[in-house]
Amino acid sequence: MAEGGDVDWELCKENIQPLRRGRAISALHQALSQQQDGPSSAVNQQRQAFESELRMYEGEDPLDVWDRYIKWTEQTFPQGGKESNLATLLERAVTKFTEEEKYHNDPRYVDLWIKFAENCSEPLDIYRYMQAQGIGVTQASLYIAWSEEYENQGNSRKADLVFQEGFKKSAEPHEKLMQFHKALQARVSRQVLMNVEDDSDDEPKQPERVSLADLKHRGKKKAIAPVNRTGSAVRSVSRGLQSLGAPILGNASNSQLVIFDENKTSSAGPSEPKLESWVAPPTAAAKENEQRPERWCDVKMPQKSKFGRTVMAPPPPKPTFQPFVEESDQPPTMTPCKINPAVNTVLSSRKPCREETPLKRLQEHHQHQKEAESGKLQEQSMYCKELLLSGATEFCFEELRAERYFKKTHQDSQKEVKSEQDQACASESSVC
Amino acid sequence: MTGSNEYKLNQGPEDSISAVKFSPSTTQFLLVSSWDCTVRLYDVASNTMRMKYQHTAPVLDCAFYDPTHSWSGGLDAQLKTHDLNTDQDTIVGTHDAPIRCVEYCPEVNVMVTGSWDRSVRLWDPRTPCNAGTFTQPEKVYTLSVAGDRLIVGTAGRRVLVWDLRNMGYVQQRRESSLKYQTRCIRAFPNKQGYVLSSIEGRVAVEYLDPSQEVQKKKYAFKCHRLKEEGIEHVYPVNAISFHSVHNTFATGGSDGFVNIWDPFNKKRLCQFHRYPTSIASLAFNNDGTMLAIASSYMHEKGDISHPEDAIFIRQVTDAETKPKST
Repeated sequence: MAEGGDVDWELCKENIQPLRRGRAISALHQALSQQQDGPSSAVNQQRQAFESELRMYEGEDPLDVWDRYIKWTEQTFPQGGKESNLATLLERAVTKFTEEEKYHNDPRYVDLWIKFAENCSEPLDIYRYMQAQGIGVTQASLYIAWSEEYENQGNSRKADLVFQEGFKKSAEPHEKLMQFHKALQARVSRQVLMNVEDDSDDEPKQPERVSLADLKHRGKKKAIAPVNRTGSAVRSVSRGLQSLGAPILGNASNSQLVIFDENKTSSAGPSEPKLESWVAPPTAAAKENEQRPERWCDVKMPQKSKFGRTVMAPPPPKPTFQPFVEESDQPPTMTPCKINPAVNTVLSSRKPCREETPLKRLQEHHQHQKEAESGKLQEQSMYCKELLLSGATEFCFEELRAERYFKKTHQDSQKEVKSEQDQACASESSVC
Repeated sequence: MTGSNEYKLNQGPEDSISAVKFSPSTTQFLLVSSWDCTVRLYDVASNTMRMKYQHTAPVLDCAFYDPTHSWSGGLDAQLKTHDLNTDQDTIVGTHDAPIRCVEYCPEVNVMVTGSWDRSVRLWDPRTPCNAGTFTQPEKVYTLSVAGDRLIVGTAGRRVLVWDLRNMGYVQQRRESSLKYQTRCIRAFPNKQGYVLSSIEGRVAVEYLDPSQEVQKKKYAFKCHRLKEEGIEHVYPVNAISFHSVHNTFATGGSDGFVNIWDPFNKKRLCQFHRYPTSIASLAFNNDGTMLAIASSYMHEKGDISHPEDAIFIRQVTDAETKPKST
């Protein structure tokens, strides 16, 4: 049986997201066997149980439920993805306890933050935010994750500085921090050695043919497939370009364009990561390559003429003939079951949300709380909004009340059982 | 507080009221389901309770199949039918989680239940037995029948339109046009569309025909909000009921108000006085001369002390319910 399971596991390997702590193989088998037909009712029931526990919890340690719920989610949805709700869960969990000082250096909470950061597009921002808020500053795991992120981006010097910061804060456990720091140093030194070796054969990277490239041309003009020549066919051309490139670079001092040199500035800068005192998390910067969503059709590109005035591109000429459409070619009339995509926008007509990053939402949450405290809010929802929306899925009033009802009946039945037992004991003792 | 055109029902339920439904054929009988685990039948004309029967847990919804049979379901996940003549119970079947809604579709002659187990089940009322289980993407919060079409509102603000004659596939998958949780969906008696209310003081009027001209007519508006000391208090809109003749509808909110709207001229026709607590359910009778109003705290703000649960029967006039023709 174990063998068959192993095969299953092998077949779905690419759909399993790696976890820092690894996966329980039994949970993995179960999750993979259920994968074929969507989340089963058992999974839904378990999730519902966690969701209601989140809302009904009355003990000292609410983080515990979140922690267990998130770990369960990771194990149950090995492929991650939207239906696991993991990203939402992490965000909610992290946001919920930002005000709770007692959790700030709780290893579980710090772990949640790190998982959250790894799910974000800008993990470094999150780590800096954590530092500014004092979350996890005495936990070795923060510095390890942070340093790994720097290392992944190829900045091993910063990665090292993060460790120094960790030592300064005497983060716990110290041995773990030391161990990871040593490993980093070993990797860096090996890399330096490799680089020295690499320098000897300074061959430029071989150009390669682009695989999976777009061959179809979708425009009105004739199709041109991208052709990338490789090997000797291209060599002469590239050499020619290189020789041309040199004099242009030589002109750089004359031109107004200042070229940013990373190495120069970094060597001049202070040698430890700056401690920024942030009132609020940073907005998502460094996104120059991401375009804001907007309509692309019907947009005219303003074109600059030589004299700096903008001229509009002439509209494309309309065809002077009527395109022929065969009469029989009309789609057969039937009841519209599938909604025409052009009209579909009308059915879900809520405007697309403005660009939101998790950090932005965190920031907004803070602001919202402050406003609520100072009583500046213009609107107030007259229901227990927090309870309905905590967790990954929403609840309605009736569900919340049903949970309370089930809890109460459960307690009552337990009491009854207990009193019956007591009575039985009493009668037994009287018999004796 | 109650005028000459309105009275309170005697022998009301002992806990919160979950639904009120009028008989399909007479103006006399009203079915009421409640959190006190009972379903009660009232004779509205004589203001007496005719009958009540028990579930093992709170009842979340009930519906008439015909004037002599009621169907109901609730937290015990059991669907019961009760013969109102002989006072006989039958358990028809079960869901895997509590049953939230029970409706009858006369066109296809089928009972429809929606549950938090993420499914809609159909039941043949003659046998009676299960006639199919249909998985929904989320927990079912509300459903309504428009002719032979079924409109299901689930958690996660999803709306699904099914064809009850062909349940093989979902006819339309929509997203609620409102930003917050769906509380109630009711179909127009003319079967053209439906009205959807949300937890944050808003109501949307939607049309089923997916063509662009028809879809242009849809709209949403704010309601059930009270301004107090510069702060706008936003209340959930819990109940909708359509006037069967005029296609106008009443909405009830947790603010305790009942409004009647004219969806064609986009006007409010009238607002009644404020009821003691949240409006949990509303029902017009079959000829639209009476409105049953369940004023019952729904634990929106937790388990706190609240005014007594009560059902009011109000005579409504054409002036209050008929669209003003201009």
